[in-house]
Amino acid sequence: MRVLLVEDDRLIGDGLKAGLEKLGFAVDWFTDGLEGEEALYQAPYEVVILDLGLPGQDGLDILKKWRTKGRKEPVLILTARGDVDQRIIGLNSGADDYLGKPFSLKEVQARLNALVRRSNGSSLPLLTYKNISFNPQTRQVTLNGKEVILSPKENNLLELLLLNKNKILSKEAIENKIYSWDDEVQSNAVEVHIHHLRKKLGRDFVRTINKIGYILEDK
Amino acid sequence: MKKLSLRLRLLLFFTGASCLIWLCSGLLSWFECREKIDEFFDQYQILMARQLASADWSSLAPETQNITNKIIKHIHNADEEDEAIGFAVFSHSGEMIFHDNENGKYFPFSPYVGEFRNEKVDEEEWRIVRVYSVDKKYVIAVGQEIEYRTEVTLDMVEEFLTPWLGGLFFLLIIVIYFVGKEFSSLRELTKELKKRRPDDLSALSTVKLPKEIKPLTDAMNGLLKKIDAMLKREKSFISDSAHELRSPLTALKVQLEVLQLTENKSQSLTESLNKMDLCVQRCTRLVEQLLFLSKLESGLTTFDEKEKISWSEIVAITLDEYKENIDNKKQHIITEIGTLSPIEKGNHILLTTLMRNLLDNAVKYSPEGAKITIYISKDRIEVHNSDVKISANHLRHLSERFYRPAGQKENGSGLGLSIVSKIAALHKCKIEFDNQGDGFSVIISNM
Repeated sequence: MRVLLVEDDRLIGDGLKAGLEKLGFAVDWFTDGLEGEEALYQAPYEVVILDLGLPGQDGLDILKKWRTKGRKEPVLILTARGDVDQRIIGLNSGADDYLGKPFSLKEVQARLNALVRRSNGSSLPLLTYKNISFNPQTRQVTLNGKEVILSPKENNLLELLLLNKNKILSKEAIENKIYSWDDEVQSNAVEVHIHHLRKKLGRDFVRTINKIGYILEDK
Repeated sequence: MKKLSLRLRLLLFFTGASCLIWLCSGLLSWFECREKIDEFFDQYQILMARQLASADWSSLAPETQNITNKIIKHIHNADEEDEAIGFAVFSHSGEMIFHDNENGKYFPFSPYVGEFRNEKVDEEEWRIVRVYSVDKKYVIAVGQEIEYRTEVTLDMVEEFLTPWLGGLFFLLIIVIYFVGKEFSSLRELTKELKKRRPDDLSALSTVKLPKEIKPLTDAMNGLLKKIDAMLKREKSFISDSAHELRSPLTALKVQLEVLQLTENKSQSLTESLNKMDLCVQRCTRLVEQLLFLSKLESGLTTFDEKEKISWSEIVAITLDEYKENIDNKKQHIITEIGTLSPIEKGNHILLTTLMRNLLDNAVKYSPEGAKITIYISKDRIEVHNSDVKISANHLRHLSERFYRPAGQKENGSGLGLSIVSKIAALHKCKIEFDNQGDGFSVIISNM
């Protein structure tokens, strides 16, 4: 899952990026408000983490601009100020959730997963397809009730497919969704991941649509 | 001894004074009456004596005494009023030839004729006057019991003072009522203050107060206002501080969690530990700065002794502390320190802190290879760093607590310039921030 992180505090940003990546997210981190605002238009992000106390441009201003331009990505706001008033202002400006400092990485992860689930129109904590189930919080995958071990990228690809059932996903779209700007992507990376997924979850797990992409059909 | 209430003291004083005046006027009227009554009865005695003197005592029949005795007895039975007057008639040789068959018969003979004398008669004090009869052959003594005169005087004084006493009593009741009523505004004020919540620092109402109490409540309102402002300052300081501490704590927590998530810990341990160390350093620096600023703001820092300040020494010490950082960033230091400065005398420790904060900012926020100038002359202390410009919008807020302009890559508490401003103000100097020449200047000069 690709996450846009806009946080000016070097140590918090660094920790969030490193931690979320370990938890399976692809994170693009910007410290400057203006760059962060622009970044949303440059890649398909699933969710945004936005610090309110940004220097240069206030987080709330960025959020308002995104919303007036019609961007619907769920936004999780981080702030040192925990007042109720500020929360209300934040939520009214188009934020989807609010997290006061100090927070824990696990809390951020849970909120991000909940936001993504909600924006995909599902409130079930488990994503399922036939005999496969995926827990976004624990990143655990089971096939016929037995746990299957996937690599982080395979995990992200599975989540992406499960969230976009019955939709054709192009190779580029998949690359953009599961890799951040910092990742080095090899040209056949997606094919390799699909190959590994089929090996672990069954030969007919995903249908390839020639020269267009992949689809997970749920009939 | 416990101090009596103002109300009680007023009442006691008033009661005491009234009673004293009453007693004094009583005594005065006593003496006055006594004198008048003496005058009156003396004249009465003389008149009576003269009448007796004009009688022809030589032709007095021997049985007259007995007849008189009976008559007098009879009169006495009819009339209760006893003016305690007695008389006796003596011959020249001192022989009593006639008396009133009452007190008069005990009157002694005396050669003092023509004057009033107080004499003892039958154990009682009497006032007796003696005159010669018209034919000079007899002495007539007329006396009155002094106790009777005292009784009459007392009666008169009493008659005179009783209505006074009643009046005094009513006066006291009226005074008690009015003093109580006038003090009610004070009691109301006390009640209002007693039931006040400690966080209610709104002004006391002074509308109904008498003008003796108004200055007190006005002063109290002034104090409340000052306390309110101080509390608000303290509150915002505490809440700002708490919020500022949240960020480094969050960083520390997140970095710890990252380390917990790392499977091969030995690899990234050093890096993580370094980052956490940075977080703790940040917290520590922030807490130190906060404490320092709060000390400055609360005025706890003793600032009595003013030492002679050697700026060249302070600059040398500070530059020494930052030598490593300056060398690392290949920055150039230029110092121009004159013999005079806006702050000639002051607190050495505070002024060293001032210089340290200014140099810390200059080194931190100017790029590698920048030029840092410390310039001290008669009219200003200036720290200038090249290659940094700050927008007018930020310049205005620089000395505010926790204000940090955009895009800060360096860790800072946002308190450094607040501290510098406070120290400058304590030394009666003002501080200005300005973009000058090729960079940014902080200038401290006399107000």
